[in-house]
Amino acid sequence: MSQINISMLKQCRDGQQLLRLAGKMSRRENRWLTLLGMLQTGATIGITALIALLINSAVYAAEPSHWQSEAWLLLAALLTLRALLPLWQTRLADRASINVRNQLRALVLQHCASLQLTLEQHFSHAELSNLLSNEIDSTRDYFAEFLPQQRLAMLAPLMIIVACFWSGWLVPLLLAISAPLVPLFMIIVGHKAADASQRNLTELTRLGNLLADRIKGISALQLANRCAEEQQHLFRQSEQFRHSTMQVLRLAFLSGTLLEFFSAISIAMVAVYLGLLYLDKYQIGMWLDTLSLSHGIFLLMLAPEFYLPLRRLGTLYHARADASSVADHLLKLLQQQPPTQPADSRPLPRGEITEVSLQKLQTGYADSPIGQAHSFSLTRGQITLLSGPSGIGKSTLLDTLAGLLPPLAGQLEVNNSAINVYQNPHWQQRIGYMAQQPELLFDSIRHNLCLGRRFTDAQLFDALKQARADHLVAELPKQLDYQISDSGGFLSGGQAQRIALARVFLHQPDLLLLDEPTANLDQDNADAFMAGLQQFTANGGIVLISSHRDAITQFDQIIQLSADPSSEAPHA
Amino acid sequence: MPKLVTRYFQLLWQQRGMASLGLLLAIITALSGIALLAVSGWFISATAVAGLTLSAAHGFNYFAPGAVVRGLSISRTFGRYGERLATHEATFRVISHLRSDMFAALARHNWQEQPLNSHEASGRLLDDIRHAEALYLSALVPGFVMLLSSLLYLATIALFLPSLALWLILPVFISVVLIPMLYLQRVLQPQNNLHQQRNRQWSDAHSLFSNLRTLILFDRLSHQGETLTDSAHLADTTEQQTSNARQQVLIINQLVHAAMLLLVLWQGLNGLAAGELAGTLVFMLLLLTLGVQEVIVTGSSALAAFALGYKALERIDQLSPAKPQRDLRLFNEPKHHQPHIVMQAVQYRYPSRQAATLSDFNATLDADHWYWLTSPSGQGKTTLLQLLAGRLQPQQGKMTYTGLTANQVAMMPQQVSLLQGTLRFNLCLHHDFSDAQLWQALQTVELNDWAKQLPQQLDTWLGAGTQLPSGGELKRLGLARLLLLDRSVILMDEPTAGIDTERSQRILERLRQRWSQRIIVISSHDIRLMAADDKRLSL
Repeated sequence: MSQINISMLKQCRDGQQLLRLAGKMSRRENRWLTLLGMLQTGATIGITALIALLINSAVYAAEPSHWQSEAWLLLAALLTLRALLPLWQTRLADRASINVRNQLRALVLQHCASLQLTLEQHFSHAELSNLLSNEIDSTRDYFAEFLPQQRLAMLAPLMIIVACFWSGWLVPLLLAISAPLVPLFMIIVGHKAADASQRNLTELTRLGNLLADRIKGISALQLANRCAEEQQHLFRQSEQFRHSTMQVLRLAFLSGTLLEFFSAISIAMVAVYLGLLYLDKYQIGMWLDTLSLSHGIFLLMLAPEFYLPLRRLGTLYHARADASSVADHLLKLLQQQPPTQPADSRPLPRGEITEVSLQKLQTGYADSPIGQAHSFSLTRGQITLLSGPSGIGKSTLLDTLAGLLPPLAGQLEVNNSAINVYQNPHWQQRIGYMAQQPELLFDSIRHNLCLGRRFTDAQLFDALKQARADHLVAELPKQLDYQISDSGGFLSGGQAQRIALARVFLHQPDLLLLDEPTANLDQDNADAFMAGLQQFTANGGIVLISSHRDAITQFDQIIQLSADPSSEAPHA
Repeated sequence: MPKLVTRYFQLLWQQRGMASLGLLLAIITALSGIALLAVSGWFISATAVAGLTLSAAHGFNYFAPGAVVRGLSISRTFGRYGERLATHEATFRVISHLRSDMFAALARHNWQEQPLNSHEASGRLLDDIRHAEALYLSALVPGFVMLLSSLLYLATIALFLPSLALWLILPVFISVVLIPMLYLQRVLQPQNNLHQQRNRQWSDAHSLFSNLRTLILFDRLSHQGETLTDSAHLADTTEQQTSNARQQVLIINQLVHAAMLLLVLWQGLNGLAAGELAGTLVFMLLLLTLGVQEVIVTGSSALAAFALGYKALERIDQLSPAKPQRDLRLFNEPKHHQPHIVMQAVQYRYPSRQAATLSDFNATLDADHWYWLTSPSGQGKTTLLQLLAGRLQPQQGKMTYTGLTANQVAMMPQQVSLLQGTLRFNLCLHHDFSDAQLWQALQTVELNDWAKQLPQQLDTWLGAGTQLPSGGELKRLGLARLLLLDRSVILMDEPTAGIDTERSQRILERLRQRWSQRIIVISSHDIRLMAADDKRLSL
């Protein structure tokens, strides 16, 4: 089994090349599959020949020939063999495709782990989740069926041409001439189909986004009494998707029809040609002067078989188009460069963290700095507010302070000694971080709180109480073992936020970084939350909290971020 | 039968022109394909026999069969193209209607008591609904074509060699009736499991990417990656089982077909020897059999496809609420009365809670004052507003609206939802307002400066990743929506949270001037915003 690594895949020019490379992982299975396919074609040729001989001898000879009972046995055996072969083929094909998809998934996960937060710059969560589930899964048909069939589509017709030479040269010649026309037309049609298929995907995404958004915001439409209009709107979007799908299908069916046409016309041509030959209208293309019925039967039955592998390939054409767009997507992800700055794991200075000070710390992604360089200090026992309009870089600064993003310039001092916090586990263990969207796993509340560490139920409920989530959890069925589902499931935004907050309190960090923690809370809970923070700092914690709400309550320090370099200044 | 299945067939009936065209073309295509093989087979056998004697060869009319063969090959080709287009067109039309119908069903319901799982709902309406395509496309059409072709096949065989037809009844019955049933029984269960396991896999992937920060900080990234790999592996295994089960059934079918072929050949040759069958017909019957088998193979999954589509519709149907909610509010419109609302002994309890949130509540609301709900959280402020808006229904008590109709009530919820679309769309929400009206509303809530600095002003796209209004801006957007709707009863839940006090005061002052002689109920913590003649509603 060949191994493929990221650096090989990343150098691919396009998705097609990536697919070919990935296909090599199952080279052995593919070889077997081709062999089995050829065996199947061989069996078909044998069956056809036996039927031709049996009918021939019955029509021409009055007495049964001595070889007949063997011929019947052989025919039955070949028919059984041909019927059973697909069982092995399916097994092999599934194994091949699962193997390839597993390796692709592993590579993507490995790459995602190295990209860390850089991932979010170009990919949304939904996009990545789809890539690692539906999209990679959907390449099954490509790796399991298209790849082996591709080779078979060349070899099987070749075998049939050779077999047809038994009778004469004209029929194989006709088949051989028509054969290259098929792929030619398919390429022309396929080219157009790829464009249309891309447009169709865009329409599908658009429809999906619209549906998700309108269902999420259904109450706004209900309150405006405008659900009927939105229904019309969705219907129109749905119809638009239908039109674009039909566009793709018209082209896809055209290539299918083309193959159908060749296979139908070849039967017609062979039949008419042979008929005229039997009637002695002309004599061309056969080895023998007087042609027996067996040749006719043999050729006529093999003519449609000639196009069968190509027709199968044609029906798998969509698999190739789908896989190719998945591969483009994969390539886009794999070509993302992980941050170059090496991770640091030097331990922190001993003792409690009393001061964290930013010295001209510039944040941003790779070459694009976001906002101005920051210089201010966070001190023990204080709550600092990071204020400013959205897009000014508040979240990026918090990510950088948490060691999730490398700083572009400047440095961070902890207790007056400079330290590299990027991916530093010693630092990250002492951070409590709550992102803008409350991060909760689709798992039980208990697992969401503990995240691999050990706590007693009493500790958990203490933390929940601190985050004003204890009543909420007590009312849930199964309480701590309640399973959270899709994006909070039946937890509202505010409830999810309070549980995420309880986790932060549970692990008792030294520095608390909170990104818009009160955005989803009602006024009561927001007030109580602030009171909780006061208590946390009274016990010696440091808090940095970002907000772009208009109202500003009690803080020890306010850092106003703005695009203008001169105006950023801490003021108490 | 689930409501949605009935609806599906109603819609299919509406598209009966296209749907029956598709079916007709499918039948024509299948029969032409079979006939093409059979006629060709007969033609070369007949010419071969005729060619033995010179006179027969001379007198043989080869034009007619030649033309038939060409005609059949053309009708098979174009029939196939037309069939596919027509059947897909009909199906997709049905799906479009079904999708918007389902949205309407969701929109008719108030989701206050049992929140709607929006991810699940949109997934069902986007992807699951496409399984319903199978009902017509992969079940009805191929199933019908299979039945018709095999009956015609048996009839044709009976015409030429009755004894063979008797022999063939059993294998045809197995292949047309028993195999689809076996297929259904063997494939449906693993297919269902697969569906659930793939969902689980998606959830695990989503868990990983939407918790990136937490997982990195807690050093759990690789652990979650393993969870994802495991669930993918599980789903892959089921996928393999499904495809194995499918293949096993198909192989049984293939063996039955092989037996059919041997039977036809054996009986045909016997018939020939006994002089019951002309020599030219043996090969024809054989090709006829091959042609029919090709059609039967495509029909063997028909029953399973039907079940799959049926199940999908059943799942989608579960989304829509079981019983319709009735609006228990009473509206009457005597001419000379000032509009007012009377609430008598109103009680409301959330189904998930033990105690009533609101009990024995009495109030009369008129247009002379603004009413403020200022009690602490959890005492039913939001519940009362939802009751007044008709989005919750009381278990006891009476609510009478005099001089008012149901669509004169407007409400701004605590969470103002921003829809993906332009600022204009978010303000209008499918109503028609002029630019001047929009700007005036924006000015009243002090959003005009914000709107002016947007790249395309009113036509700027709002939403995640582009221009996301802050909490306070969103509240003011909600207020602007209320201003534009211009209703007689206005309910506001925490309209000023996140807006600083001075600005809230300025905005409320403007609203007071705009909204004279209306019934206004407002829930807020900030009692500093109350005016002198405002009234407090205590719960």
